Amino acid sequence: MTELIVPLLAATVQSGTPVLFATLGEMFTEKGGILNLGVEGMMSVAAFAAFVTAYMTGSPWLGFIAGGIAGMLMATLHGIVCISCLGNQVVSGLALTILGVGLTKFLGTPYIGMAAPGFDKFAFPLLSDIPVLGNIFFRHDALVYVSFIIPVLFWFFFRRTSLGMAITATGEYPQAAAAAGLKPVRLRYLAVGVGGFLVGLGGAYLSLAYTHLWTNGLSGGRGWIAVALVIFAFWRPGRAVIGAYLFGGVMAFQLRLQASGTNLPSSLLLMLPYALTIIVLVFSAFRGRGTEAPAALGTNIEPEG
Amino acid sequence: MTLGFKLKKRDEPWQWGAPIILAGALLFSFIVSSLLLEGQGKSALDGLYILWTGAFGSAFAFQGTFLKAVPIFMCSLGVAVAFRMQIWNIGAEGQFALGAIGATWMALTFPNMPWYGQLPLMFIMAFIFGGIWAFIPAFLRLKLHVNEIISTLMLNYIAILLLEYLVFGVWRDPSSFGFPMTVEFSEGGIIAGIAGTRYHWGIIFCAIVGVLLWAFMRFTRMGFELKASGEGPRVARYAGMPYGFLVIFVMCVSGGLAGWAGAIETSAILGRLQPSLMVGYGYTAIVVAWLARLEPRNIAFAAFLLAALRVGVENMQLKMQIPAAFGEIMEGIILLSVLAGQLFLTYRLERKQDSAREA
Amino acid sequence: MDHKFPTRDRTPADQFGNVPAVRLVNLTKRFGKVIANDSINLDIYPGRIKALLGENGAGKSTMMSMLAGRYKPDEGFIEIGGKEVSFSNSKDALEAGIGMVYQHFMLVESMTVAENVLLGQEGSFFVNPREMVERVRGIAEDFGLDIDPEARICELSMGEKQRVEILKLLYRESQILIFDEPTAVLTPEETTRLFEALWKMADQGKSIVFISHKLEEVIALADEIAILRRGKIEGEVDPASIESKADLARRMVGKEVLLEIDRTPMEPGEEVLRVENLTGMGLEDVNFTIRHGEVLAVVGVAGNGQKALIEAICGLRKPPRDTIFINRKPWRKFFAESTWKRSLSYIPEDRLGLATLKNHNLVDNLLLTTRKGFAFGPWLDKKKAATKAQDLIEKFDIRPPKITALASQLSGGNLQKTVLARELFREPVLIVAEQPSQGLDVSATEEVWKRLLEVREMAGVLLVTGDLNEALQLADRVAVIYRGRILGMLPVGDEDTPGRIGPLMAGLSEE
Repeated sequence: MTELIVPLLAATVQSGTPVLFATLGEMFTEKGGILNLGVEGMMSVAAFAAFVTAYMTGSPWLGFIAGGIAGMLMATLHGIVCISCLGNQVVSGLALTILGVGLTKFLGTPYIGMAAPGFDKFAFPLLSDIPVLGNIFFRHDALVYVSFIIPVLFWFFFRRTSLGMAITATGEYPQAAAAAGLKPVRLRYLAVGVGGFLVGLGGAYLSLAYTHLWTNGLSGGRGWIAVALVIFAFWRPGRAVIGAYLFGGVMAFQLRLQASGTNLPSSLLLMLPYALTIIVLVFSAFRGRGTEAPAALGTNIEPEG
Repeated sequence: MTLGFKLKKRDEPWQWGAPIILAGALLFSFIVSSLLLEGQGKSALDGLYILWTGAFGSAFAFQGTFLKAVPIFMCSLGVAVAFRMQIWNIGAEGQFALGAIGATWMALTFPNMPWYGQLPLMFIMAFIFGGIWAFIPAFLRLKLHVNEIISTLMLNYIAILLLEYLVFGVWRDPSSFGFPMTVEFSEGGIIAGIAGTRYHWGIIFCAIVGVLLWAFMRFTRMGFELKASGEGPRVARYAGMPYGFLVIFVMCVSGGLAGWAGAIETSAILGRLQPSLMVGYGYTAIVVAWLARLEPRNIAFAAFLLAALRVGVENMQLKMQIPAAFGEIMEGIILLSVLAGQLFLTYRLERKQDSAREA
Repeated sequence: MDHKFPTRDRTPADQFGNVPAVRLVNLTKRFGKVIANDSINLDIYPGRIKALLGENGAGKSTMMSMLAGRYKPDEGFIEIGGKEVSFSNSKDALEAGIGMVYQHFMLVESMTVAENVLLGQEGSFFVNPREMVERVRGIAEDFGLDIDPEARICELSMGEKQRVEILKLLYRESQILIFDEPTAVLTPEETTRLFEALWKMADQGKSIVFISHKLEEVIALADEIAILRRGKIEGEVDPASIESKADLARRMVGKEVLLEIDRTPMEPGEEVLRVENLTGMGLEDVNFTIRHGEVLAVVGVAGNGQKALIEAICGLRKPPRDTIFINRKPWRKFFAESTWKRSLSYIPEDRLGLATLKNHNLVDNLLLTTRKGFAFGPWLDKKKAATKAQDLIEKFDIRPPKITALASQLSGGNLQKTVLARELFREPVLIVAEQPSQGLDVSATEEVWKRLLEVREMAGVLLVTGDLNEALQLADRVAVIYRGRILGMLPVGDEDTPGRIGPLMAGLSEE
């Protein structure tokens, strides 16, 4: 049994990682009160930026950072439209996705099939020797290890720092934050920017670690799944980890099943993660009813006087 | 806000604002895309010229543009009625696919029927299939508060995979040499062309639907109730409107219209079901609906505009080897700039002055 | 007939001198064409309580928002300690020692008391929750403000929330504290405690600005009174020298006002509403009836079950079986059969968000609840509706008198008149009016009151209000609600009724 299950769980962790980055990124953004539906587009652009940077410089780490920066720049566009120009957040996010996916295809087409230096797997010293768990969690590429730290930092930031509390207040009641002497507009830009950076890291993971080859459509709906997972996670990083690995599991399972030469048509198998997204939302509805969402999520701050 | 300007709310809305903003957005998107072209070592001026001639350069080109506007227009009508009620139906793409599947099912089942039997069946089934695909998220939203943005979007992916499953599997034409496509529809299952042109009777159908929908929204009690419910479920309940029913109704109509678009495209343009049907009309429809500020009359114009963009980009693809995604980039930029520009409909910029010092 | 406030037995301490802490010099603010504040000059002294008296819409809040850094003045300036200052946001004002307790609390509901108090404070980047709680507890104890720093805001009562707001300012050691209509959400007892706290703060040398339109409060509390009318300072008075309230009211409104309205009781007719053993939704065993021609007021501090009661009666929420009877029919049957006319009208507190369509014109807003009266088959006769709307606009003197005006462009008073015009046009048999005069100026209030009394000709009225004076002016009987229970049903004619309401509102039942 373990020979079958352990590799599957290890693959789960790997395919859950990009979704985890993206979910935490979107969660960070939403904590500040901005809904950014452009995750899919941001991930695409970031994946490409990371790939090209790694390809040009030969450094996967530079590529990784470039992915984050690309995500941040895309998110900033959303910020300008929604925070400064008071545009509709839903529609702006969609526009960002259309733009991002288009831009990626436009710029990426010449690179299809090319390879860039990416991240390779290595056994984490000591920890990889833990029976079973070591094989599942500690025989991956460096970015997976990075992804272990981020939810902890996320939690710490929002619970134990004044800046985290300020962003929370901006997402809940920006007028109150302003009355307390905070600057909600700047805080929202910060939330959107940092969130975009994290989403970008998720995109970078796709082109630098998940595969080392460039193809079009790498993100394949993962951005949208991330948006759904934020709701599933009730805006808590711990639950985001559970959600991301749940999806990683389904994707890994579905790939293995296809590879095993099953009779099930691949198009039906490919539906699994998307159908699961809807099911997961139905189940989280039984508990949360959305009351955990930041109270001012999706509403813009109208300028005064 | 650090530029020495500040926003002031306008006393009256800016009268000519909307067209000016749209023109500005188009201009901005042309500038950005020109830069992209130049960045790839291609002449931007040539590109824009080819774009223009591709869309409007000849009667043939113009007809192509017009034909492309049809499915976009239908999907966009559906999107707009849902958006009017603040129901974010992003699922036109999937509902379009389901409509095509429903129509194909009828065409494949009754190939021997004459057109006056087969086409109505196809349209009815397309509306039902598209409607069901929209009913699911509407129901989930009402009963379980499931966010309809995500559910409609996930259903888009599922719909496309379902379509692929059908044309790769049970519906594959055995004589297609393995290509994923159904057999060609019989004559009764194809919407006829209008003599001497590339146009087909589906266009007339669309025009009628558009006018009916406009009249419905404007002159009927239910149209009023739909618009009023757009201010939120609480107001609707205050005024004794059946909010839940309206949500379901509006989503089913929205999905049904997209379904019709799918049926028309399959029957009149392709004549069979194949994956190349799915080119993102459902997403373009959202851009169109928003550019048109959800008004049916503006939608016709905006659908034509974005269809022209698509056809023009196809021409660029052919003559300059530009990826088709170029059109998506322009769509995205146009929509983003219009969203940003709409700020000036309600606000104007005013010079910041340090009044305290001067007083 | 009025509730008695604690009497002030104090002379403001002199040791803080006669140098103003803050001076407003020629302060002017415009919103579009409207001049909200017109060259205001005002001096505020340390150790004294300055009341700013004015009607709703007189510009009190605008003026104080400039002082608190939320708005920038178009002309004029502010001086603190003799030095001219310019604030570009709340932070600047806070740093200059000016703090404001807003009418709508500026608290983050999902965060704790301690987190709210420390929000936006200068301090270390990392925070220690335990230490935070201890610090806030310390200050609360110093000033005798009873509050649990670890509680979440959403669990607190309105009075407690206000204490958190005050705590925020005390923590920052603000020297100038502004209170915007702070008593609107308090029980009479809580008001007394607030007044005592304000005197205590003033004795410590803080400057207090108290914004209100309630004469009695201002006279009881303040050391100095400034009257604001139509954006201008009309004059300053010494509360000790006030001869008559009517005179003060006249100066505030600019014309003779009737502080009391003539109400001749009507012979009650048939029963229009009966609530029987209504329990659930936060309510407990509520019983009462209203007859045709009668006004019953339900008074209480906001959040004691009024919302649930109203929503159940008005059909927005489903009550248990056989608990509510409207027009002598069971709830379910009434709403199943009800048409647009001769039915139930609800005049909600939330005029812009619930009773009207913000972004629609007045014709659409007329149609909102009367659309069935203008329908033939599936169609809607908008022409007829437009004519009727024009009619009602003239009859109710709604301004601007254009059917194309959007609801969001109307002032509070005109919006309420629009709602009343529409609902009275439906000739209801039962009217549920929730805070009908909240935020309206005196003349609009008078108008609304008159209409509600007139309407007794055709209907029974359930008036739900937090304003004791309103209840005593309009109602035949007053029911006091506390934590979902009706603690007392008092006839308005009785001498001791006004005095009994206060303790009941605070939950002190009379056994």
